[in-house]
Formats: sequence, C-alpha cells, structure tokens
Amino acid sequence: MIKRLLAGVVGAGVLGGLGFLYYAWYPPIATIDPPAASSFSAEQIERGRIVAAEGYCAECHTRTDMGGGPELAGDYKMETPFGAIYSSNITPDPEMGIGRWSEEALRRAMRLGVSRKGVHLIPAFPYDHFTKMTDQDISDLYAYLMTRPAVHMARRPNELPFPLSLRIGQAAWKLLFFTPGIYKPDPSHDALWNRGAYLAEGNAHCGACHTPRNFMGAEKKGSMYDGAVVDGWIAPPLNDKNPTPTTWTEDELYQYLRFGVAPLHGPAGGPMSPVPHRFLSQVPEYDVHAIAHYYADVDHAAEREKHDKAALARAMEQSKIDLIGPNVDPDAKLYQGACAACHYNAAPFPVLGRPDLALNNALWLDEPTNLFQVMLRGLTAEEGQSGIAMPSFYNALSDADMARIAAYLRRTRTTLPPWTDLEKKAAEVRETVKTIPVNSSH
Amino acid sequence: MGKLERIAAQQDRAAGRGPTRRGFLLTAAGSAFLFGFAREAKAAQTFPASAGLPGDGAFEPTIWCSIAPDGVVNVNVIRAEMGQHTGTALARIIADEMEADWDKVKITQVDTDPKWGLMVTGGSWSVWMTWDVFRQAGAAARTVMVEEGAKLMGVSPASCIARNGRVIAGSKSISYGDIVSRAHPTRTYTPDEMAKLPLKPASERRLIGKDVKALDIPAKTDGTAIYGIDAKLDGMVYARPKLPPTRYGSKVVSVDDSEAKKIKGYIRYIVLEDPSDTVPGWVAVLASSYPAAIRATDALKVTWTPGKTANVSEKDIIEHGRKQIAEKTGGSCVFNDSGVDEAFSSAKQVFERTYTCASVLHYQLEPMNALARLQDGKWEIHCGNQWQSLFLPVIAKALQVPESQVIMRSYLLGGGFGRRLNGDYAVPAALISKALDGKPVKLILTRSDDMLFDSFRSPSIQTVRVALDDQKSLKGWEHHASAGWPTGVMAAAFMEKGADGKPYDQFAIAGADHWYDVGPMRVRALDNDLADATFRPGWLRSVSSGWTPWAHEAFLDELAHELGKDPVDFRLSLLTAKGRNVGSAPDSVGGATRQANVLKRLVEKCGYGKTQLPADTAIGIATTFGQERAMPTWTAGAVQVHVDRKTGVVTCQKIWLVLDAGTIVDPDGAAAQTEGGALWGLSMALFENTEIVNGNVRDRNLNTYTPLRISDAPEIDIEFVESTEKPMGLGEPGVTTIGAAIANGVFNAVGVRLRHQPIRPADVLKGLAEKKSA
Amino acid sequence: MIKFKLNGRDVSVDVPDDTPLLWALRDELDQTGTKFGCGVGQCGACTVHVGGRATRSCITPVSSIEGAEVTTIEGLHPEGKHPVQEAWRDIQVPQCGYCQSGQIMQAASLLKDYPDPTDEQIDGVMGGSLCRCMTYIRIRKAIKKAAAAMREETASNG
Repeated sequence: MIKRLLAGVVGAGVLGGLGFLYYAWYPPIATIDPPAASSFSAEQIERGRIVAAEGYCAECHTRTDMGGGPELAGDYKMETPFGAIYSSNITPDPEMGIGRWSEEALRRAMRLGVSRKGVHLIPAFPYDHFTKMTDQDISDLYAYLMTRPAVHMARRPNELPFPLSLRIGQAAWKLLFFTPGIYKPDPSHDALWNRGAYLAEGNAHCGACHTPRNFMGAEKKGSMYDGAVVDGWIAPPLNDKNPTPTTWTEDELYQYLRFGVAPLHGPAGGPMSPVPHRFLSQVPEYDVHAIAHYYADVDHAAEREKHDKAALARAMEQSKIDLIGPNVDPDAKLYQGACAACHYNAAPFPVLGRPDLALNNALWLDEPTNLFQVMLRGLTAEEGQSGIAMPSFYNALSDADMARIAAYLRRTRTTLPPWTDLEKKAAEVRETVKTIPVNSSH
Repeated sequence: MGKLERIAAQQDRAAGRGPTRRGFLLTAAGSAFLFGFAREAKAAQTFPASAGLPGDGAFEPTIWCSIAPDGVVNVNVIRAEMGQHTGTALARIIADEMEADWDKVKITQVDTDPKWGLMVTGGSWSVWMTWDVFRQAGAAARTVMVEEGAKLMGVSPASCIARNGRVIAGSKSISYGDIVSRAHPTRTYTPDEMAKLPLKPASERRLIGKDVKALDIPAKTDGTAIYGIDAKLDGMVYARPKLPPTRYGSKVVSVDDSEAKKIKGYIRYIVLEDPSDTVPGWVAVLASSYPAAIRATDALKVTWTPGKTANVSEKDIIEHGRKQIAEKTGGSCVFNDSGVDEAFSSAKQVFERTYTCASVLHYQLEPMNALARLQDGKWEIHCGNQWQSLFLPVIAKALQVPESQVIMRSYLLGGGFGRRLNGDYAVPAALISKALDGKPVKLILTRSDDMLFDSFRSPSIQTVRVALDDQKSLKGWEHHASAGWPTGVMAAAFMEKGADGKPYDQFAIAGADHWYDVGPMRVRALDNDLADATFRPGWLRSVSSGWTPWAHEAFLDELAHELGKDPVDFRLSLLTAKGRNVGSAPDSVGGATRQANVLKRLVEKCGYGKTQLPADTAIGIATTFGQERAMPTWTAGAVQVHVDRKTGVVTCQKIWLVLDAGTIVDPDGAAAQTEGGALWGLSMALFENTEIVNGNVRDRNLNTYTPLRISDAPEIDIEFVESTEKPMGLGEPGVTTIGAAIANGVFNAVGVRLRHQPIRPADVLKGLAEKKSA
Repeated sequence: MIKFKLNGRDVSVDVPDDTPLLWALRDELDQTGTKFGCGVGQCGACTVHVGGRATRSCITPVSSIEGAEVTTIEGLHPEGKHPVQEAWRDIQVPQCGYCQSGQIMQAASLLKDYPDPTDEQIDGVMGGSLCRCMTYIRIRKAIKKAAAAMREETASNG
C-alpha cells in the first residue's frame, strides 16, 4: 500500500516562469449543498463500494495511530523526511470532509490531483494512477463516499516546513512526471486482461508501491514493477524480476490477492496484508481474477512455470535440511528450535498454513528486510492466512540471533549469494517497529 | 546401612529426634496432592486445599499406608514426583506385599512434616531406600487384614489367604474395605515389630516386576497436573529477581526504578536481606502480573559492587584443578591403599592421561519458582522440591523463625535432574513475603534468570595413571579428580570421610572408586574452591558418575591399546571380584562378577568386534556400576558412532545398554528412566555444554544452549538382567557409560582420542589433522 | 478487552495488548496446562492451537489472536481422549510431564498435516519441542500409534 512519501515528492523545487504559473493555476470549483443520500441509487452505491475497495481508500484515509480513528475520516499519518503529513477526511462532513464537493470536484481531484479549491495535491495521493479511471467509476465512488456517515473530525496540520509547504512545487512535479488520461484498452488482449490492467494500473495503483521511484519520488517508467522499499518493507517485483523459485502464476496470484496466502509463496504480511483481507476479499471474484491474470502476463508466468515442478521438488528437499537425524550446527539448532516446527515441509507440496521458507519471497529478495520484519512483528490472526498467527520474535531473538537465522536460511534454503551486514540490518529493521508487539518472557 | 540411610539417621539425630519413627499416627494434618486410581482416565487430584486424607474410620497400621472403609488404599509418598513415577513404584511395593487391589490404590504426595524423617529424592535412591520399610508396612497391613478377616468369617487365620484386596478362606471371602468398616482394626506396629514380620517370597509377587500404568501419567496428558508454577493463591503478587553480577559477594549500591515505575502493574522493588546468605545481592521486583514483573525487572537499574569472581573463566577453574592434581597433598582419598606409592616409584612405565568435562546446565523445563505466604502463624512454601529436609532449615534461618513454623507444600516437579535438590529458589520467595508481612507472593525466574542462577554441574578435570612393571602388568592405579563440591557447599555435614579421615564430597568422586582389580589404588577427590566460590556447584543427574567414567573408562581403552589388548577382554580380566570387589549382601552381592556379566551380555548383543561396519564407523564400549559403590547398578553400554572426516561431526547411530539393577520393580518405568538417562549422557557428550565467562555461565537460553532434541535421538536397545536381588536405582545409570563409550567409539572409528567433553566437531577435525601430520 | 474463542467458548481478557497469550491463558483464564518453558518460542512447552495450528503462546501477543479460535490441552478433547492423549497414556510417554501438553498439542497438529507421519516428518515437526526427560523415543512411538488409531477411526467412519 502507498504509505510513503519520498523526499523528492515534497522537495520538488519551485520552477519559475509565468507560463508555469499559468499551467499550475486551477480555479476553485463551487461548493454545493451536500447531496441527499436518496439522490443515489442503491446499485450505484454498491458499485461505488467496490470501486472504493479496489482503490483501498480506507487504508490511507483512516487514522491508525492514537488508538485509531473513524473510517475514511482521514488523519492517517505518513512520515516523510521533512515531517509528517496527514490524509484528508473524505467523509461527507460539510466542514471537515468533502460534503460540499461536487462530483466534478472529485473527478478533478482523481484525474488531475487538484483539490476543490484548486490546490495541488501531494502525490502521496496516487492520482497518477487514478487518472486512468472511467467517469462511471468515479461517479460511483462519489455516490459511495457521499453516503458514508459524516465524521466531524479535523486532521492534524501537515508538518512540512516552508517552502515545501507551498503546493506550487507539486505542479512542477506534475509537469515533469504526470501524464493524465483514462485507461485505453489494448485490443491485442482480451477483456479479462484489459480489466486487470485497468484496475492494476488505475484504481488499485499497484505500481505506487511495487515500482521504484526516482529522486523526485516519481515512479520510474523504465522500471515498472521492479519492486521497491515501502514503509520499511520491500514491495517485491511484480514482473519477471521476481526472484521466488516458483512462478507467480495466475492461480497463485489469485489465492494471494483474494485470501492473503499463496500456497507456494507464503502469506501477505506488512503493508500488503490489508489488500486481500480488507479489500480484495470484498470485491467481485472476476476483478481479482482479472488482476491476477494481468500480472501473470506481466511476470511472464507462461514461459517460466515449466520450471516450477523442479523448483518445488528442490525446495521440498531444502525444507528438511538439518532437521532430519542428528545435527550439531548451532545455527541449524536455532532454526530448529525457533522456526522449523511451523515451517518444515515434506514433499510433494507445502501444507497450507506451513509457509515454506525455501519458497518464500522474503528469503529470495536482495535484502533480508521482509524476513526481519515478519520475524519481529509476527502476523496477527487477521493478517496473512486468516485465523492463524505467527508469534513475534521481537524479544525472543536478538539482532545477532536473527542474523544467524537469516544467514543460515539464505545458505541452506536458497541458491543465492549470502546477505551481508545482517546484524546491522536486523537492528535497522528493529528500529522501524515502533510499538513492541509482545511483552518479553525471556 | 547404605549411605542415605546413614544420612537419614544423622539428620534425625541432628534434629533431636531418635532414630525410630512413630509407629502410628491417626490423622494426617498436612495437605498433599493425590494421584488416583489406575483405571481412571483422569487421576483424582486435589489441590490446594487439604487433601481428602483418610481419617474417618480408616485403618492405618503405619504412617505409610491406610485402608479406608470403602477399600481405598492410600499410600503416603515422601519422594518428589519428577518423572520417575516414583509414587507408582513405591505404592506397588506396599500394595504387592499387602495383596491390595491395585485399582483401589492411590498415592498422596505429602507435605513436609518431621514424622516423615528424611525427605530427599535423588541419587536414584527412592526404591532402594524404601524397599524394606514399604514391604514391612505392606506385610503389617496384610497380617491385620488376615487376622481380622478370619475372625469375621469365623475361620482360622492359617486357613486364609489374601489376594487382590480380599481375604479368602475356601469359598468364603471378605474385602479389605468390609473388614475395616466392620472390625475397625486399630493395631499398629513399631519398626521393630514390622521388621520381624514374614515377607512374601519373590515367587509370590503379583505387582512388582509387572507392567502397570503409572498413576501420575493421566493428569500429565490433559493439563490437570499441577506443578509448583501452577500454584495460585488469592491476592498474590508476582515477583521476578534482578540478579547480581556474581553468585556471591555482590552488594547493592543503588537502585533506580524511575523507568520501572512507567510500567503498568509495577508495585515496588525489594533489596533482599538474607540471614541465610543464600541469595546475596538479590533485588526482587514486584508487580500485579508476571509480564509486568518481567518488564519492570528489565527496566529496573541496579548498581552493584560485584563479588571477587567477576572475572573468573572456565579455563581458570580447570587450570586451578590441574594445579591441585599436580600437588601431592590436598583433597581426600576414597581409597588410599598401601603400596600405591611403592608401585609408582618402582614402576617400569607410568601411563597417564588427563580428561576434562565442561559445565552442564540443568535446563529442567519448569523454571525455578516458589510461592510463599504466612498463614495461621506458619510460613507456607509452595514449590516442587527434591530435598525438603535440607532446605526447610535454610528457609527457617532466612526468615529467622523456628523450623516448626515452616512447611513446604508438595507439588509435581517440572523436571528435577538434581536442580531441585538445591532449594535455594525457595528462600527469596519467603524473604519477599516476609517483607510484605506474609502476603502471598509468587516468585518465578524467567529462563534466562534460571540459567544464570543455575546450580549447574561443575567443570571437572581428572588425571588417571597406572604403574606398569616390565611385564606390562598393572601394579598400581591413581585417579585424581578436581571439581566444585555441591555437597560441600550445601550439605557439608553429610559428606563422607575418606581413608585419611578428611571429609570429601562423595557426589564429586563416586564412580572413580571402581570394581576393577588394578593393584593398590589411590582415588583422590579435590575440592575446586575456585569453582565453589564462583558459582554454586549442583548435583546433576548421575552426579559424579556422569563424569568420572569419562576419565577411567576412556583411560581403560587407551591403556588396553597401549598394551596391545582388546579393551573388552582387558576389562573382563580386571573384573575378578576379588578382595573388596567381591561385594556384599544385600546391595552389592556378587560384586564385580555381575559387572563382568553385563559386559559380556552387551558384547553379545551389539556385535562388538564381529560386525562389519562402514568406513569411519565403529562401536565403543564402557561399563560402570551405576551411581555409587554402595548401591551398584551394574551397567554396560555400547554406542555405534560415525565420524564425518570432512566436518568433524560425530553421529551416534545406536545405543545398547545392559543393566543389572537387581529386582526390577517397575519394568516400564525402569526402561523409561534408562532411555532418558542414556539420552542425557548422549546430550552431554555431543550436544550441550556451557562455559563460565566472567564469573557467569555464557548461555542464557536455547538460542545458544543446545540440548538434544528428538531428531538427535538414536535407536536404543535396553536389556535388564533378570534378578531377584535387592532393587538398585535406575534414574542415573543410563547416563554413566555413554560419554566414554562415544569417545572410545570415535577412536575405534578414526583413531582420534578426545579427552574433553563434550566432543565438538572442531576438536575432531583438530585431532584428525594432528594425526595426519604425525 | 480482547475477545477470542477458547476451547469453544467465547472469552475476553482485560490485559495490555502486548500480553503474551501464555500468561493470559494461565493467569487470567486459569488454564495452567499450557506451560512456561523458555519464554522465547524455542522449547514448545507453551504450544497451543490458534486456528487449529500449533502456535507458541509465550511470544504470541494476545491482541494478535483477537477473534481467533484457541485450543489448549484442556480443550483438545472434552474428556481428554484425543487419540494422541490415549496413545500418550498407552505408551506411558510422560515422565515429569511438564513439556507434554506442548508435545501433545504439537503432535495433534502434526497428524492433521501428516496423517501417516514418517520418522522424517516427526523429526521435522517435533524438533521444536524440547523434552528434558528425553522421552523422545516414546513420543515417536506414541505419535505412530495415535496416527494408526486415527486412520482406523476414519476408516470405520468412512
């Protein structure tokens, strides 16, 4: 999910010129009286619910710190190197929310990243993706948002210092990196593919996390879906650079996006966790299939999956290394005690609920970030595979212990070169865990 | 009289009690926990209220057992239940002699009371110590049942037999319960009277030696078993210690609880004042929940001046021991036969080797804990413990109250292995409660606390040497062992006296006083005072017999190879059962002959010397007499090991054990104890050890401490020699041969001799490299 | 208040979010069959089922299992007659017994994943459960016995 704001986004310089000012200037759009709920049909509201879910609106427009906040009432805190910024209230409250916004105002915000008053929005709001949405979808979204309970709650003021607080800089950014325009179907592909592409590139804004950004915080066009760092986690590559031993096939992608766990890849953790559980489990199956279908094409699954059988067989052999029969390797013993009871698997397939580390994304990425994140935080019963939990090893493993396990797994469960500076990296990832998940029992 | 019986007598005298025990006691005032009947899936168990001990109308011929009007036979067990199913074994002895119905037998694990005499569970003594008195108690009950039953049936006692809880005369019979409810027998027996009762011959035994289900097991499969850590009292608060930097001599300089105060549930800290000096330098942290106590303890800042041992290392202790061994004087000799000095001074050749063992932690799975409170003028200590008689006085001293005002309530032990012989953990709980005016407080050590505070197995160093004449015949033997002395530190009054009259810790030398004929012997025990000062040495499963055979059984192989003899043949030639090795009834009847027998049987079984094994794979053998010379369990062990020359990893592929422990009271339990013991031996030989670093153990938890796990357990083949001799112990012998057998096996496999335990891959690789270059 | 299902019943506990499930079970809900061993998730004595999967309760924050289904040794079977429990008694597995709640819970979950477990599978799954009495040989035997009993049960029901 999009929960980052890179330095460049905020730090875009003020580029001069009157022409630019002209380009940058947008008029305010007149306020309206909040529309009555009865002015929208139930069908339209329901369609809007789906659009909102597929765009994860509630994820960034609901406060999570300070004990949480009402849904869509904003004040979600995003850290930037220059200070925190807070998301807007998008409930129909006339003063604090968007109650006085017309549909046109919402459409302009989604399409061009400009608020009702004509202020340039910070691209933490991913209008570079929303611009691809159809009029119908935006109209449905409007119906949905305007029929939510109004919450009279102000967001905290952004903490950006002058001149970064001047929104004119954002216009310059747009000039450089933003291409507005509704998604155009690709006639060389079928309807399912196009539906998937429309959602993935547009409303679902996958690239916001999974495409690396340049120094100005814009997605690098030439590196689409190469993977990126988000909120202290790695959003893995979605293209054929994804390093997991078995392919992200359409079915694996569907299982993952719909239920939060892909049998041959593992559970959704960290910032990805809400995507299946809170959102994509609540939308038509067809749409999730469509996204899965699209990414199976992006990562060239068809050409790669012929290797999966061998990869799976090799992973199942790796899964039991050092666990069968006597062993005196101290690192293997640590892995056996701390991890293997839940992560060991036997051929031919891993058991669902027994994520196999030899197959898991976290072990095959260039950095141990995700492995450390999940070790430290664990997974709640709501995250990953529903109803089961992974404990938090925050107090159970020192940085040195985590480094030992990471090095050991990388050595024995992958074919990749070793990770470096593991203890230091473990400490760095530990720093990102602000609330210690579990009281120590050491 | 065996050692423990002597200790018991000593302690009874010390306590101002006579050597006899009261013959009769009607009511049982204490509480207890019970294990109920064999047939029930769930054992009846009452806790913590006073148990339903029989009083009303029950017949109690001795303090050890009673028969209730409903026929239920209660057996009072004073031994701690820590996995050996001791209650089942002991109850069976009484029940067998009594001819009780096993399905109506229950066990009461009693609380402390002077009437029980010595309460200690260790040294594999339980069955051995209880064997005579429990058979006599059973005979007393049976005698009364037969007499009274005969009267009720109007027949003569001589025409009656007792079977399965009934007295039978021809076609008539009457149950024990009916006899009690109708005749109200009150007869009691003094120990002298009991001793004169005729006992059943071995051929008439119906429960002893037969497989019955252990009474404590059902509750351990459904979560209802109650351990010390499960004890809970209304209004109790939780405590965790903040442990000082050294075991002794640390003094609290300042305490800062400003961070601890931020933790919800934190109550206060207490700097413990301990008149018994058991826990010097302790600060206890109190909280309303245990998680809060854990966190607050982490947050509490305490400054100490550390004790003098803050920089001591394991190597320092071993080197200190090496110096002690090099000194001719010092220590105490278990054997100091005349002629030993002459043998060495006139020797053609002296063959000498030195062996070391690392520190080993107990890591009993239930961390140390105790619940204490003042109730009705008595200090109650709730915890599992193996030697109440030793620590109740210490608790009383700490509290500065008479011993009569302290009672220790019994619970299941989540592992003993000797750790809970040392009741030091009960003292701080009592002190904290005292600081709270007797309010109930539950002290729990986290695992890292438990390891830091462990009373662990001392590192040891041993030198064995023999004098050989020009015929290469053995003319004399010396065994010198230096280690920390647990008994010296905690129970000095119970130490044995050596040949030279000086006391020594029998549990830091036993095992070295072997049954081989090797000419005049000197076996010298040296107290490693640097070890004693640095930590509190502990008794650990099989005590010194867990490490003295590491020396002499490896040495015998080395010597055999030196002399060009087969190690087994060589041993057999020394097990001649002459002189002091002839043995004596009842405990060691048969002497070294029985050790030779188990060794021969073992060799037959394991195929030593016959079986063709793959490369770098071999069998190693060792033999011992179990735990101690006064109560030998004749033991022979073999292991098949494989050595990976590339990695240096030693794998134990199979273990064989043959034991002669006299009568086997509980065959399944005996096998279980022996399996567990053998795997302990294997764990200490290849998998686990700690090391003293800066005055403390290096390891704090399983991230670095690596005991044997299920995948490490090899196949084990155990055989008990059929015997009707007096039963000996089985908790410990399984441990004793494994380490040396592995070292001998490694040598047989790749020709590398290792003299430090545990055997680590790096040592094997080093040995292989040295061998190559040599 | 954190709510979840314990042994089929709805329960709630009023403890800090970061309270380990172990202490919530033992001290708040009086289910003391689940044991405290190492406190770092490496000995298995605290093993319970969350959503049917063996989980180390000593390092699992109770807030993370909000709404989930938790089963402890006390609830594995209403009369303590789960095939694993029966086999444990038949084979006389427990010695001190302290680790056995965890062993039994881990074994019950093993048999769900591998109904006919090989020695390898037993090693793989049970390797995280430490038994200091070293009852491993009997644990292995009892697991196989329980597996056979469960298969028989399934066969006769099927």
